[in-house]
Amino acid sequence: MTSKITRRSALITGGAIAAASVFAPNIARAADPINVGSLTPNTGGGGPFGPKITAAHKRVVDLVNSQGGVLGTTINLFQENSETNPETAVRAADKLINVNKVVGILGTWSSSVTLGIMPKCQEAGVIQMCTSSSADIPIRDEKGYVFNFQALSPVWGRAIARLALRRGFKTFNLMALNNDFTRSMMDGFTEVVGKDKLLQDSFYYNGGQSSYRSEVTQLIEKNPDAVFIPSYVTDFTSVYKEIFRQGYEGQVISVSISTGAKFKEAIGDAANGIIHGLPVPPIKSPAYAEYVTETGLEPIDGVQHPFGTAGRDQMSVLLLAIEKAGSTDADKVAKAIWEVTTGDGKETVYNVTEGLKAIRAGKEINYSGASSSIEFDKEGMVLGRDFQLAEIKDGKDVVIERLEF
Amino acid sequence: MSAYLISMATFVGFFMILALALNLQWGMTGMVNFGIAGFYALGAYTSGLLSVKLGWPVGITIAMSCVTGLIAGGLVALLSMRLREDYLAIVTLGFGEIVRLIALNEDQITEGPRGLKIDARPFADMFDRETYPLVYLGLVALAVAVVFVIVECIRRSPMGRTLRAIREDDVVAEVLGKNVLRHRIQVFALGGAFMGLAGALYAHYVQNISPEVFMPMVAIFIWMSVIVGGAGNNWGLLLGAGVVMTILEGSRFMGDFIDFLDAEQLSAIRIIVIGVLLIAILRVRPRGLIPEPKFSFAAASTDQERQPSIENAK
Repeated sequence: MTSKITRRSALITGGAIAAASVFAPNIARAADPINVGSLTPNTGGGGPFGPKITAAHKRVVDLVNSQGGVLGTTINLFQENSETNPETAVRAADKLINVNKVVGILGTWSSSVTLGIMPKCQEAGVIQMCTSSSADIPIRDEKGYVFNFQALSPVWGRAIARLALRRGFKTFNLMALNNDFTRSMMDGFTEVVGKDKLLQDSFYYNGGQSSYRSEVTQLIEKNPDAVFIPSYVTDFTSVYKEIFRQGYEGQVISVSISTGAKFKEAIGDAANGIIHGLPVPPIKSPAYAEYVTETGLEPIDGVQHPFGTAGRDQMSVLLLAIEKAGSTDADKVAKAIWEVTTGDGKETVYNVTEGLKAIRAGKEINYSGASSSIEFDKEGMVLGRDFQLAEIKDGKDVVIERLEF
Repeated sequence: MSAYLISMATFVGFFMILALALNLQWGMTGMVNFGIAGFYALGAYTSGLLSVKLGWPVGITIAMSCVTGLIAGGLVALLSMRLREDYLAIVTLGFGEIVRLIALNEDQITEGPRGLKIDARPFADMFDRETYPLVYLGLVALAVAVVFVIVECIRRSPMGRTLRAIREDDVVAEVLGKNVLRHRIQVFALGGAFMGLAGALYAHYVQNISPEVFMPMVAIFIWMSVIVGGAGNNWGLLLGAGVVMTILEGSRFMGDFIDFLDAEQLSAIRIIVIGVLLIAILRVRPRGLIPEPKFSFAAASTDQERQPSIENAK
């Protein structure tokens, strides 16, 4: 084998580069219709949820295209994988913004990804729609281009705390995975139950450890009625195994994203009795019923597709806003997003088809979604999602309490 | 499209600086460094924090990043007094994780998992939004050039020969009267300074850094760049960094042409394709795209043929 670059290999490489540069402009030229970007966590920490958001985005775009598109032109959807990693996501966002010339980037899930791509989106005038819970999102969004379809995590904490108090627990201890989402949830929880109900100071643990023995020992040392552990599924599985091994008899409370099918599979019968909470879609809403039909899912009583439904709403709201604004200019679209989602005395629509019809008929609309009624506060954060507390019984989630907005 | 290419070229620039630094440490001196992400993070946070919290001018904060990288590199290298090869690898990996965990947990200083937003950018006032990315690319290219010239000078100098001697057999080098520890510390500190520089340039470019950015995966990308390009050869790994980035990012465009697969399948296939391409490159060119030139006593071709080499041994 030669170690030199031969003339032949140089020619082949050069030829390949030349060919690539001939074809490359085709990618850019495909930018005539309205371009929309989707950046979802298809692998990594958000892996269980990303594909559902992706599929929901695609369904809405296909539906609208089959009905003639928006502003008389078709929608081009470009989908990228954020790998739940801000380092990769920045480059993926770069491609969506500069090559695909998208109007908006939808579907970011992890707060660090949403915040990581924010400087680029703000600079380029690109709308962001996410389901991230970091309280920093509205603070960093200086231009008003970010719309969050998820309740901020202090809201989660407060709701779970309220439901836990209703169950009659008197003393608590808290520990949380050290990330922004879970930390601010813990603050919300403490705010509602009051510091005097905590037997000791709350603390954080670092994810990805092989054992959580010392953390768990510290957590249950004073034997509180209940422990609250905001976490992700990967670490909560190991944490819970350790709690079980140490024979804690009080109530374990967590978030539903940590106790999905993978968790139950790993833990088996020992999972029975765990209580978990999550913002959920309004199950009585016609939009939610439509989502269930569209996806061919069985209507279940347990954890109801909180992220897939948000994906459907993100794409629907963006397309309605573009039609309403009559333009793809970020400032106009951002203004139109409020007009089509928020405010009283407008015609309520539950899907994008109805919405487009109403807008074309000159009516004012208020989109009510499958993930929530979609009303934004002045910072672009969604107001009130329903919240539900479920208990695992015989390996299934049984709803025990519900807070409705 | 051109804005995208400029942006990717800038990212390749960060990879190049890191790869040149790793080549100095590992390719030339044989010191395994898996803690690249730690030095990268140290540089990024040093410059970011000094400019955000203390309002120092960007030029000075970037220089400070080099200084912290230099000091950290020197201290980690002290550990190599008794640790070598695999053991040093584990220690450096540990160093990288320690830096990341400090950034994650000391949130009064680093903003922790929320991430640090950095507004300051070098020369930002002097150019408009359209031309600025090109200016930044120029700045990064200048940094790559400076680092390249320094490492290439070291490679050609008597010090470079000493480093290669240490790489091949440090006991022999020691016996010949070379101060092995001093050389190791110098090289590791200098490499650390370059990695700090890359981190600072990265931080002011993306303007938002969080501990999750600096996962050990970054180190793996740089190792791939060096191995694919050709360990020991500075020209080779400039190419290697470009090739690795082209594979990582170019594979994104598959999705724009293949429409019979859904986005979920494409994400999985993309990651498989990245792996397969890297394996294929190393199968075809095991010593990298541009391998390190072999040492020979005389330029005479007859002599060179008598040299034992991997090719002849096959």
